[in-house]
Amino acid sequence: MEENINYIQVTNLDYEYPDGTQALKGINLEIGKGEFIALIGQNGSGKTTLSKCLNGLYKPTRGDIIVDGLNSKKSSIVQMVRRVGYVFQNPDHQLFNSNCWDEIAYGPHNIELTEPEVVERVEEALKVVGLPKIYHKEHPFFLSKGLRQRVAIASILALRPQVIIVDEPTTGQDMKQSLEIMDFLKALNEELGHTIIIITHDMPIVAKYAKRVIAMGQARVVADGATREVFAQSEVLKETFLAPPQITQLAQSVADLGFDPGTLTVEEIINQFNSLTN
Amino acid sequence: MSEVIKITDYSWKYINTKTPAVESINLTVEEGAFIGIIGPNGSGKTTLAYSMDGLIPGQYNGIKKGTVEVFGKEVEEYDRGELQKLVGVVFSDPEAQFTAMTVEDELVFGMENIGLSVPEIQERLDWVTELTDLKNLLEKPPYEISGGQKQRVALAAVLAMMPKILILDEPTSMLDPISRMRIFDVLAKLKKEKNSTIIVIEHSLENLIPLADRMVMMSDGELVLEDETQAFFQKTGFLFEKGAFPPGLIQFFYELNQRNLYNGDYPLTVAEASLKLNEMIKKGK
Repeated sequence: MEENINYIQVTNLDYEYPDGTQALKGINLEIGKGEFIALIGQNGSGKTTLSKCLNGLYKPTRGDIIVDGLNSKKSSIVQMVRRVGYVFQNPDHQLFNSNCWDEIAYGPHNIELTEPEVVERVEEALKVVGLPKIYHKEHPFFLSKGLRQRVAIASILALRPQVIIVDEPTTGQDMKQSLEIMDFLKALNEELGHTIIIITHDMPIVAKYAKRVIAMGQARVVADGATREVFAQSEVLKETFLAPPQITQLAQSVADLGFDPGTLTVEEIINQFNSLTN
Repeated sequence: MSEVIKITDYSWKYINTKTPAVESINLTVEEGAFIGIIGPNGSGKTTLAYSMDGLIPGQYNGIKKGTVEVFGKEVEEYDRGELQKLVGVVFSDPEAQFTAMTVEDELVFGMENIGLSVPEIQERLDWVTELTDLKNLLEKPPYEISGGQKQRVALAAVLAMMPKILILDEPTSMLDPISRMRIFDVLAKLKKEKNSTIIVIEHSLENLIPLADRMVMMSDGELVLEDETQAFFQKTGFLFEKGAFPPGLIQFFYELNQRNLYNGDYPLTVAEASLKLNEMIKKGK
């Protein structure tokens, strides 16, 4: 995979809503190709606003966002969404066509591709998300939430963005469904090289899938680093009203016995237990 | 303690489906109990919840067998609206219950509907606003606030009605971990101070476990396990088999048990687990 740490470069970004609310303050970030990032933080901390800045929907009030060499302030929304796709928290807020095929074709049509190109992209996206053929002409609202989410992701994939931001991919899903969605995002990341950014409150999911964590609190980035390192900073997390997963909390509470305070999964803590008792 | 809900040999099949959504359910809920219901999506949890406040069979077409009694009376025998004063439901999709143009009107709407006096409405409004931390949102339209805030409004609107039985269908799915903890703190307070009977459907078990007296597992429309919380999670192997995912702590001790490294009770909190690990490691050395 091509190493390109500066695929997205965010410099001194501020964003203010028209009513004066400061949603983002002094954000500096670099995001590369092929990263798997979890964006975490309290409700209202600026996660969704940041995402909408990254895909060009919102333009910075101050500071700059450069994506693939393009400054979001000087680029059209079409140029931006071809690079950074955003999948809404609630797929129902995004889906509006009367069948799945048209829903996925809407984006490619909108960026003025030719008809054969549109068909190619829709078919490719449907194949990647694995939506069974019987659903292709079905109204999205007759599908389960998990399938609707796949349609929502497919409609973004059809634009072939490098970066895919998925807002709360596991909300309302049970654990089995959550793991399916996450394994699918993992495959997009590992096999197709997409940069994946998930916005989530589910810390065990973060621990299992994300390589990097960006924690936000009160419109700022308060921690940014490898998942293990960020979860080890429980004091910083507490300030931003976050807590690491139970397993990490447990490992931290017995760190004096030799457990690693950055432990992320059940598998890891078992291995440590084995080496500490043998 | 008296029984507030008694479900006997109860099955419900929606008119447009082939198989029953819930089948042969037997469940008794005591006054003041805090019950957690878990199970995969599609296992019948929400159908069961709707059956306890009369939404089923009242608002849905289907075939019912058996009985669902609330305060000793079958749900069908209540006059329209009477049962809903006793049983409040917070839906998993908060938008499904919003009707008003501001958060304040949303909270007041239900109270006006049951004919409370103006001073009483004001008093309850102040109480729920404080309890669910909504002071800054009262003037806003419910559709303009975030998903997490909507969930708090939905909960507050139901709390304001002070139902004796409170049913919450995934009340915290859109909330961050701390807001989630706050909602569970509110529930703990209600249980303690008002002796409310509380039934919570939840995928996220970490906050539920310390509060729940009893747990119920649904799978494919059947109630497959019901027990006191501590005893319930000792059957972790069975829970896995039925598609439940116990929290990380329990999974860890279950894995140790599977490898013959541990044979005690599974701990339910980080503090308990920490104590046990201390003992085990020190003994091992």
